[in-house]
Amino acid sequence: MDFSYLDSWMEEETPEGAVEETGEGYRNIWVFSESFQGQIHPNALEALGQARELAGQIGVYVYGILLGETQPGTADELIAYGADKVLIASDPQEPERLVDYQPEVYVRTLAALVERFRPEILLMPATCLGSDLAPRLAQKLDTGLISRCVKLEVDMSQRLLLGSCPVMGGEVYHTFDCPTARPQMATLEPGYFRAPYKDDYRSGEVRQVDVDLSEAAAELVWTGVQESLPAIPVPLCKQRVVVSAGRGMEDQDGFALVERLAEALGGVAAGSRGAFEMGWIPEERIVGVGGELIAPDLYVACGLSGDIHHYFGVQDAKFIVAINPDEQAPIMKAANLAVVGDARQVIPELLKALSL
Amino acid sequence: MKFVVLIKQILDPSGILVRRDKERVFINREEYIIGSDSKAALEAGLRLKDAGAAELIALSVGPARAEDALREALAMGCDSAYLLADPAFDNADVSLAARILAAAIQNLGGADLVIAGFASADSGSGQIGPRVAEALGYAQVTGVFDLSLEDGAVCAARAWDKGAAAVRAALPAVVTVLSNAYTPRYPNGARIMNAYRLWETTLWNASDLGLDESDLIPHLTYRGESFPRPFPVGEVLRGSPESCAQEVVMTLKEHKLLGKAGG
Repeated sequence: MDFSYLDSWMEEETPEGAVEETGEGYRNIWVFSESFQGQIHPNALEALGQARELAGQIGVYVYGILLGETQPGTADELIAYGADKVLIASDPQEPERLVDYQPEVYVRTLAALVERFRPEILLMPATCLGSDLAPRLAQKLDTGLISRCVKLEVDMSQRLLLGSCPVMGGEVYHTFDCPTARPQMATLEPGYFRAPYKDDYRSGEVRQVDVDLSEAAAELVWTGVQESLPAIPVPLCKQRVVVSAGRGMEDQDGFALVERLAEALGGVAAGSRGAFEMGWIPEERIVGVGGELIAPDLYVACGLSGDIHHYFGVQDAKFIVAINPDEQAPIMKAANLAVVGDARQVIPELLKALSL
Repeated sequence: MKFVVLIKQILDPSGILVRRDKERVFINREEYIIGSDSKAALEAGLRLKDAGAAELIALSVGPARAEDALREALAMGCDSAYLLADPAFDNADVSLAARILAAAIQNLGGADLVIAGFASADSGSGQIGPRVAEALGYAQVTGVFDLSLEDGAVCAARAWDKGAAAVRAALPAVVTVLSNAYTPRYPNGARIMNAYRLWETTLWNASDLGLDESDLIPHLTYRGESFPRPFPVGEVLRGSPESCAQEVVMTLKEHKLLGKAGG
């Protein structure tokens, strides 16, 4: 049987030289695939998975975009994770230009690609790099950007991307669309989208695109690496996650468990006045009346009863987990999740469950 | 040296109560304040000004009430303040705000350093800094928690990929600062009184900035609001430590409460 008509039909579907180059209309979904030394950023994979879903709905291809990537395996990996095509942009004259992140150089490169190939939707992960790059690119392309989306849909009646982003500290989501300007841009909040499964048998097309970066000035000098700098010192009242110990932790070993839990949750250890009197925490780490009044997103109370003096300090916490053997303790009534049990036994299990 | 700090006046978040279960936003106290991120930007600018001779100018896009925020900025130590207000700016989205601010900075004859907050406490899209930088063609550094100037360049420590990095950018530049990195100063009483009695803010409208109707079309359209799933209330877990721990971790994952490191 002759399938050549299929080939020609497929050709029409992706008229390489015709539509893409002359740009009759905007189509296809692009994912800016942030990568470091050939390793694709996990949040970029989440964006790729979401792009795949949207592409299925509106019937277009998913493109993975790599900048200055020379390692051949990376493009294949993007295809295995769901990209139909991969564009690798680099400047043949200065292949080193796109190794370090430079806002102006990256924006210039991506803008050149967008103007040439005209994607309908451009997604980026809301990593540090993505959040820095996306707004600048959007301004350059004179289009809208929906930042830090937690949900993306397509309004099929108008073929519009709908993005929901958290406002007011994440308590409300506002949904936006970008009706006229193209491409429609969105950055995706890490952790809200499922990473796609890897399928090594997928095949796709990899294409090298040359860009001219001779005029772009690199204005950023990276003087320090990550390890050499301490992270921001954040006061207790602005911490997002706080794990507190009470007298119920009994001794220094018990408090060490609380510290380990705080580290595993990405927060800090604090305590009640009782913990201060036991000498486990400094005075500025006391939570409650006379100490710090805090409003973290997650508060874990380990082995403390949470009488009114303590509870007053955490009443604005968004989510409280209490671990206490006494079900009648006041904190257990106020908690979103109350675990009846000895914190000294529950915390090791929590650490185990968190490390999975 | 000329520094410009971008200020956003927002509805005080502590006066807003969001009930996820009722799917409603209650505004208990309608008070407008300088957002914590803009205050941090102000403080960062004032510290740089204290360190060396510089002029610090406050800019804000907003309705007439944003003048209060600018007077507070004057009280804290800014040298002059400009309110960019016009009925045509009312439905401005962040791309327009950036264009308006960039036009104002050009009106001022450019700036050596533009300081803004990383993400505001209300909409928090984190777009204004990079967008202004692009509109002006300046360098940009976002998410900064330590800032200094060194012969024609800005040295900054920024949050980067779960850690931090030090970068250097040539002036002119736009930097956005993290709100918890700077504790804003309290202005002294004399300055507060002067800010209302003696000093004036300048009002610029669209025609002052050379913007006309065709420049002022927002890109994004608001399509509605939705709410995250409500948290469980008073759920009691009994049973073995192991099963309880698994249940707790599952619930935290479900509500995206894990991996919220930092401030």
